[in-house]
Amino acid sequence: MIKTQQITKIVTTSEGQLQILQPISFEVKAGESVAIVGASGSGKSTLLSLLAGLDEVSEGEIYLDGAALHSLDEEARARLRGEKVGFIFQSFMLVQSLTALENVMLPAEIAGRTDAKKRAEAILDDVGLGHRAHHYPNQLSGGEQQRVAIARAFIGEPRILFADEPTGNLDEANSEKIEQLLFNLNHELGTTLILVTHDPELAKKCDRQLMMHGGQLEEESSDEKHNLAREAG
Amino acid sequence: MNNVFSLAWRLFKHEARRGELTIILLAIVLSVAAVLSLSLFSERLQSALSERSAAFLAADTQLRSDKPIDENWLTDARDQGISTAQRVSTRSMVFGAEKMSLVDLRAVSRQYPLRGEVMVADAPFGEKQPVQSLPEKGHVWIDSRLFQTLNVKVGDTVDVGDASFTVGNVLGEIPDAGFSVFSAEPIVLMRLDDLAATNVTGPGSRADYVAYFAGDASAISDYYDALEPKLNDDLHSWRSAADDESAIGRSVARAERYFLLASLLAIILAAVSIAVAAQRYSLRHFDPVAIMKTLGATQAMIRKVYVLQVLFITVVGIILGVIFGLAIQQVVVWALADKVDVSIDVWHFRPLLIAVFTGAVCASLFSLYPLLRLFSVPPLRVLRRDLSSNLSSRSLQFLASGSAVFLLMWAYSQDLEISAILFASGVVLIAGLLLVTYGLIAVGRKLGQGRMGAWQLAWARIRRRAMDNSIQLISFSVTIMLLLIVLVMRNDMVAQWRAQLPEGTPNYFLINITEAQQPRLESHFAENQIDIDKFYPVVRGRFAAVNDETVRTEVTKEEEGSDTNQRDGLGREANLTWDDELQNENKITQGQWHGNTEADLPEGIYPVSVETGVAERLNISMGDKLTFNIGSEIVNTQVTSVREVNWQTMQPNFFFIIDPAAMTAFTPTYITSFYLPTERKAELTRLMQPFASVTMFDVDARINQLRSIVDQVSVAVEFILVLVLAAGSLVLIAQVQASMDERLQELAILRTLGAKGSLIRLSVVLEFVIIGVVAGLMAALANEFSLYLLQTQVFQMDAQLHLEYWLIAPACGALVVGLLGAVGCWRLLRLNTSQLLRNMV
Repeated sequence: MIKTQQITKIVTTSEGQLQILQPISFEVKAGESVAIVGASGSGKSTLLSLLAGLDEVSEGEIYLDGAALHSLDEEARARLRGEKVGFIFQSFMLVQSLTALENVMLPAEIAGRTDAKKRAEAILDDVGLGHRAHHYPNQLSGGEQQRVAIARAFIGEPRILFADEPTGNLDEANSEKIEQLLFNLNHELGTTLILVTHDPELAKKCDRQLMMHGGQLEEESSDEKHNLAREAG
Repeated sequence: MNNVFSLAWRLFKHEARRGELTIILLAIVLSVAAVLSLSLFSERLQSALSERSAAFLAADTQLRSDKPIDENWLTDARDQGISTAQRVSTRSMVFGAEKMSLVDLRAVSRQYPLRGEVMVADAPFGEKQPVQSLPEKGHVWIDSRLFQTLNVKVGDTVDVGDASFTVGNVLGEIPDAGFSVFSAEPIVLMRLDDLAATNVTGPGSRADYVAYFAGDASAISDYYDALEPKLNDDLHSWRSAADDESAIGRSVARAERYFLLASLLAIILAAVSIAVAAQRYSLRHFDPVAIMKTLGATQAMIRKVYVLQVLFITVVGIILGVIFGLAIQQVVVWALADKVDVSIDVWHFRPLLIAVFTGAVCASLFSLYPLLRLFSVPPLRVLRRDLSSNLSSRSLQFLASGSAVFLLMWAYSQDLEISAILFASGVVLIAGLLLVTYGLIAVGRKLGQGRMGAWQLAWARIRRRAMDNSIQLISFSVTIMLLLIVLVMRNDMVAQWRAQLPEGTPNYFLINITEAQQPRLESHFAENQIDIDKFYPVVRGRFAAVNDETVRTEVTKEEEGSDTNQRDGLGREANLTWDDELQNENKITQGQWHGNTEADLPEGIYPVSVETGVAERLNISMGDKLTFNIGSEIVNTQVTSVREVNWQTMQPNFFFIIDPAAMTAFTPTYITSFYLPTERKAELTRLMQPFASVTMFDVDARINQLRSIVDQVSVAVEFILVLVLAAGSLVLIAQVQASMDERLQELAILRTLGAKGSLIRLSVVLEFVIIGVVAGLMAALANEFSLYLLQTQVFQMDAQLHLEYWLIAPACGALVVGLLGAVGCWRLLRLNTSQLLRNMV
């Protein structure tokens, strides 16, 4: 589903060029869930932005569901995101001036789907927020906002879901609910999940963990046991 | 596309409901409403005023000529739908019962007057009533004074030239009687077809021929364009209400320019508020754009969504603006109905077009840069919140806003030159302000050092956002400056108008007072508790030569068309006076007033002071020798001073004032003036009874007319001032509101760190107070500079310093901006910390 070959990211600062990602190569299979973990500043969010096509690689190649992301311009990447990618962010990133329902409808509308409203209502019901469809984001709690964001992420039935610290802004109880929802939907729809997190517990729930350190991919670990346990649960 | 439209519409609808669009919508509504109401009102007022001015011409335009006007020219005009009338006038003797008098004989065609009204009285000096008719054939209507001098009454016969006429009525007033004290001959009005029988306009006589035109302005303008090549500058002059150089004409012209200026400033204010609001709108949409891009929206889609949104806002703004503009205008017209004479029935499309155009141009060009910034927000912002727009060059913003302002000024004034002057001085001003504000911010760096208190926090914020603050400072300064200009211009203008006609301005002139009558008249008036002005001695003299070169005194038939190479004279006799004392409202511009110094001139040559206008016209300069023919005597003079005379004052003014020593041999008559309140008007006949030979000239009606026009224009100007002040206040609110958003994050952090509300409030208020003081100071400086240019170049007024505003502007700036800051801050501080943080997302 995702294949990277020697991707690097170099940025220009006032003090000259700075390489924030060392050459990285790895693959993610379809339906797999992968956690990218690491300390702050290790480059995990940069890696996520490159994998999701939100930013351009300086060197190397990225293939996303067969598409050569590194050779696409911003417009083509946007289209690709619209077709195949879903997102969940730490700060929810809901459009404040739209209701919960309209936020969920947004990707479907952008994709030009005519059944956007019906689908959005159904998926809001799925995340347990059907009764709050017409509330604005600032009228919802953090957990509710993230559930809206999850509904928005899944409305387009994306092939890949990128989640950046999805529980980072939530308390323990809400975190658990969100994690559950995320993994359930991921499992039901067979979506590939790439998750950036600080939280080792959350990372453990993924099939694989990629550890970032100083812009390098240091080790790759998997927790088959935990994975099996999750499937059994 | 359907999805894009519905998305844009939904965003628009929600944002409107949540108040996100209020400021930008208000700015558009304000600009459209202000421009529409201002220009609609000023066009209506102008048409009412020009109708009034037209009444003083008895037409919209006049063609004056020294010889008969070609009949075909008038036929052409009528063919083009223009109404015409004619007048022939001449000075002639009229004979009554054993007495005679020199009169201003006016023979008019039956269409006269095309504008204004002829008025008659039921008795000499009686109450005047307008009439629709003219004298019947064989009749004349004569001035009240002639009943006295000719000793006749209505129904008697008078002789004019070779013909006899019946006195049909007491002539009260005609619209184009003129406004000069010296056109003192009483008027006799007759029909044009009666003139031939009198033979008074035969060879050798001097007559004025006037053709009157009235009708559609563009038709008249087209007609004039076609006629112009046929006109001879020496013979013909074309006068319209617009180039009326009288006091009324000037007041109206100046008021028109003020309306234009105020409207231009209102447009700029509205444009600034749209720019501020659009900037804020753009900043608040960085996140939605990044989110939409992340979710797969292409650049083209984002563009469509936001262009559609701007379109929705603009359309709604324009519609609301037009409704409000019409409502404001209507309310003002109703409120001022008894004070201001406006033509309510006239509907003008130009203001509507200009208003819609203003709204559209402001909304599109001022939101161009913020929108372009918005389009270039990278999707990566969803992960990296510090990323804003890739577009950082402000030159595009300056270019777009600059061209919008210029375009609007040009479209509105339809005068490229004035727009260019105003625009260029604005640019220079802003560049200067930018430099000065940077300097002040640098000075503030020193002031803000030390332990972190409210004062230090305030300066720290000002310093940190030096560029933003300097732009904010400039927009505050420009707003305050524009308000000051409108306010001070209004005060100066109204003060100068009022000064022309203070209470007690003489409303009656007396001429032909003999030397023997003078002391008796003085004591007679004193007994009747009437203050009488100074007595000016007058002799009639012919201006004969300049430096021994004779001047042409009048155009005779023989001379017409021949190039005599002679200097132009005054055309007829001039009134000469002598005095040691310089009159009020007379200013020596060259040389020395002869009353103040002993001129070193040869024996038999006396000093003379010449009025600037006549000196220019007759090409007279300092040191020239002027020769006058008075009776059979020659008086030789030399120009020792040139005077500027304010012709707008209601006092006798003179072209030439000669040293009294030159005039000892002549017996003058005297001229004076006095003020009599309207309620004592009935006493006039009794008052003047003992002085039957003295001619009285009644300017009371004229003064009242002038005063009512000045009052109307002042009220209108006041209304415009209020509108512009409202526009300015809204701009200030928009600016403070916009800058409050920027402060949100900082407030949230300070609040989270446990800073007391009072410290935050005080520091924000102090910050705004500092900005207000600096902006006020800058505004006062720039105001002085702009006013100087405007008053001397555009308004032809005396420029003066306005030192009081150097205190008032910073004080008001501090108060208003500080207060608005405090209110904005209060709103934010009412939110608790978590709400503040949530609002930041």
